[in-house]
Amino acid sequence: MPRPEQKMVTFTLDGREVSAIENSMLVDGAKCVDVEIPVFCYDAKLGQPVGACRMCLVEVEGINKLQTACSTPIREGMVVNTESDRVKESQRAVVEFLLINHPLDCPVCDKGGECPLQDITFGWGGGTSRFIEPKRHFQKPLALSPLIAIDRERCILCYRCVRFSQEVSEDYQLILSERGAHSFVSTFDGHPYVAPFSANIVELCPVGALTSQAYRFRARPWDVEGSGSICTLCPAQCNVTLTVRDERVLRVLGRDHDEVDDGWLCDKGRFAYQAMHVGERITEPLLRDGGELRPVSWERALQSAISGLTKAAGRTGAVVGGETTNEEAFLLQRLMREGLDSPDLDSRPGGALALDLHRALADPALSATVVDIEFAHAVLVLDCEPVDDAPILDLRIRKGVRRKGVKLAVASSRPSSLDANATLSLRFAPGAGEALVAALDAALSGTGDVDGLAASAGADVDQVRELAALLSEAGEDVVVLWGERLAHGPRGDHAVRGLLNVASRLKLASADGAGLLEIPSGANGRGLRESGLLSNAGPGLGEPGREGRDTPAIGAALAAGDLTAVYLMHCDPVRDFQDRGLWNRALSKATTVVAHAGYLTEGLIEHATVIFPAEAYAEKEGTFTHPDGRIQRLRPAISHARGVRPEWQVLATICKAAGLEMTFHTVPMVFRALVDAVPFYADLTLDEIGGRGMRWQQTAAAANLPTASDRAPYQLTAPPAALTPNGSLRLGTYRSIWAGSEVAVSPALKFLIPHQQVELSPDDAKRIGVGHGDRVEVTYDGAAVNAQVTLRAAVPTGTVFLAEATDSQPANLLTNGEPRLVEVRPA
Amino acid sequence: MTPWNPGEDVIAVQRGPEPGGAGGAYRSFGETLRGLKTTFARVIEGTNTIQYPEEKVPVYPRFRGRHKLHRFEDTGLEKCVGCSLCAAACPSDCIRVVASENDPENRVSAGERYAAVYEINLSRCIFCGYCEIACPFDAITMGHDYEMSDYNRSDLIFTKEMLLAEPIDRTPLRNEGE
Repeated sequence: MPRPEQKMVTFTLDGREVSAIENSMLVDGAKCVDVEIPVFCYDAKLGQPVGACRMCLVEVEGINKLQTACSTPIREGMVVNTESDRVKESQRAVVEFLLINHPLDCPVCDKGGECPLQDITFGWGGGTSRFIEPKRHFQKPLALSPLIAIDRERCILCYRCVRFSQEVSEDYQLILSERGAHSFVSTFDGHPYVAPFSANIVELCPVGALTSQAYRFRARPWDVEGSGSICTLCPAQCNVTLTVRDERVLRVLGRDHDEVDDGWLCDKGRFAYQAMHVGERITEPLLRDGGELRPVSWERALQSAISGLTKAAGRTGAVVGGETTNEEAFLLQRLMREGLDSPDLDSRPGGALALDLHRALADPALSATVVDIEFAHAVLVLDCEPVDDAPILDLRIRKGVRRKGVKLAVASSRPSSLDANATLSLRFAPGAGEALVAALDAALSGTGDVDGLAASAGADVDQVRELAALLSEAGEDVVVLWGERLAHGPRGDHAVRGLLNVASRLKLASADGAGLLEIPSGANGRGLRESGLLSNAGPGLGEPGREGRDTPAIGAALAAGDLTAVYLMHCDPVRDFQDRGLWNRALSKATTVVAHAGYLTEGLIEHATVIFPAEAYAEKEGTFTHPDGRIQRLRPAISHARGVRPEWQVLATICKAAGLEMTFHTVPMVFRALVDAVPFYADLTLDEIGGRGMRWQQTAAAANLPTASDRAPYQLTAPPAALTPNGSLRLGTYRSIWAGSEVAVSPALKFLIPHQQVELSPDDAKRIGVGHGDRVEVTYDGAAVNAQVTLRAAVPTGTVFLAEATDSQPANLLTNGEPRLVEVRPA
Repeated sequence: MTPWNPGEDVIAVQRGPEPGGAGGAYRSFGETLRGLKTTFARVIEGTNTIQYPEEKVPVYPRFRGRHKLHRFEDTGLEKCVGCSLCAAACPSDCIRVVASENDPENRVSAGERYAAVYEINLSRCIFCGYCEIACPFDAITMGHDYEMSDYNRSDLIFTKEMLLAEPIDRTPLRNEGE
């Protein structure tokens, strides 16, 4: 639903006239005039109030009994008293009552010093208790999950955690067991509470009942400093506060930003900070010497990298992962294009997209924001799994569906965790996204062969028509959340043309709250493209001068010997990209492989010539661009680990050695140069970006975006038909939220490391003659992946799914970015 | 024109007598002699010098000397649970506490948590005793020892083991009525 209009009303609070938003809650209205009404159970983020704790009782004139301010909406002319004797008496009584079973073990409790119960008892409590009977006892502390410890004695039964689990993350795991005075928070049957967003309840808990296992007893609020930054582990780029003690990050807290993360964090973002302080981290330059990587001095490493790269000038490629900042990207593209005369650089793992299409997709009129998801009439999730690709968007979609009545449609190959919330969920063959958008385009326009196209997509034609009807009839605000995967492969251009056609048929450009929102593969995918890290575009999506090779072509050229050196910025192609065999050949053929990496991954151990240590995100300074165009600042919270140098300086040193003029002394100077080079960033300054970020689409300079020469609707060519699983199975892949070095080395998250599993539908499993947990071998052309079967009823028959980037038996042994049929047989 | 009359504003300057003569001699030495009277009066009392460090002045029971950490007498467990309240109360920021979780098999303190690191930088401490007041478990108290000089600043950072150890009894305590 579109954003409701907000009407201001006036009411009287403690004898003062206050104007507040009509129907907002009294607690929030009181904040407008700095009146604090104490509250435990209410949090605006959790949705509808429940009035469980009774702490917020106030006197409303005309109502005989005291009312809970957290659940009383403000009306015109209301007269409210928060300081009468009756209110004070009730507040003292409620505090005394809540403390009846509270153990008051504040000196031991982790929450001590930042505990709302302490603060409210001190501020509004009576100071004494008449309760002398024994308190209730539980065994403590218990592990609610490997990440969260629960102390039920401290719990005041405010329901916040249960409401989070039931209504926000919708994992439905936490419940309140027993009744009345015996109630306690638990999971069904005592199962561990493992969910992608579980640790948000630690931050929500107003007492010390739920504490983080990783932060347990590490520090007190007065021992630490908070440092605002953003998380760079996925494209969602949640705003975070890093808790720092003695130059170590001890904890990550959410830094509420409605327009980015809504105040939540995923467990990866919350616990992967541990990866900064582990022994596995690379903290000194490594150089291959006698076949083995050995630590060397910075001078020697830089010298080797420079001589290797300059020797291969004109025959060097660069491949960039997602954690690179805009500034580093800008320097790297200058190094490649100007210093080394090599236009072969790319930040998209799946192949180039026509420059015109990049420009058409970046059109401000066509871009949706994160908030638009919440207030849209309908949301289409297309070829992505938000919980894996940008977890926090998953919560935003759930919020929209649950609280704002958004109609959700999911179109993906793999069963999605959002299926249960969706009005319509549609499956298509892996890699057939192009055919699906073409079919949808045909259904929306009413012309074209919908049946044939749906068959090419391996989708049900009725569902495609239903989807078209749903999107066109829901209302004008339609948001299409699509994954970069859709545009991967040699036919990526066609898929994006289809998508732009769909957007134009739905008139997404004309409605304010409608548009496309892409989830890129890399955390800073959008920023890297706009900073010029594309094979066919310079900074600001401008003409590149000379077009270079894209990622798959760089791999092929390396393997063929056309390129001899490669610069790997925050990525390990062997692990992260399709076609492991090709990249293994490519990197072993290359004479110089320069890498920036935080951790040693298989491809780097095997092939890297020089490895520069990467900065952890808490050490880094720079800017990131959110998928919706918001430029956000990454600010250093701790000093660099001993031996680690700022990466932009490393790049600048190499640039200088390659003969470029480098006049930068600080990151803001690089940012200035970037802003000068990207016309539509022209109005941005670091001051204005500040702590909340700024969307470039909202500045006047957005008009400087180069316009696409060709506009939708495009004439589409017929997509190739989906492969028929004739005895064999279509291979689909996915990348789990838990895949990645940060998770693998963080002690708290180790239990979540994804292992390869073969997802089969029960029908196929029966036909092959295997059951849940059996080992099978998935083969294609001699290559094989050997893993256990997981039966999922929702997997479409004829398809098998494998995980990418797992520690062993990864899916890219079998893939090359094009749809494939594989054989599955018992191992 | 009448001359200006200063009226009440006139300040009369009092001048001393002219120097010289008997009066002048008295004024030069008289006050010195008056001071010396006190000095000579003390001479008959005998010496009051205390031969420190061979002799020491006993301290009062509430004297705030070097801190001590305590253990429970019965169980031998440390009283300190590592809550850091002393560090919060400390005005000169000289206490550092790093807490850790108790291993139920091998307890250090009575609760869930204990101080893995407890350091007081005595070169910074101003012996105000706020840490003692802040402590909810009476785990830290101010002792009587005031002899803490050292040759090295870093040796003045007292660790938990040093603070827990029974101090060498080198400061006499004043008895009641003494």
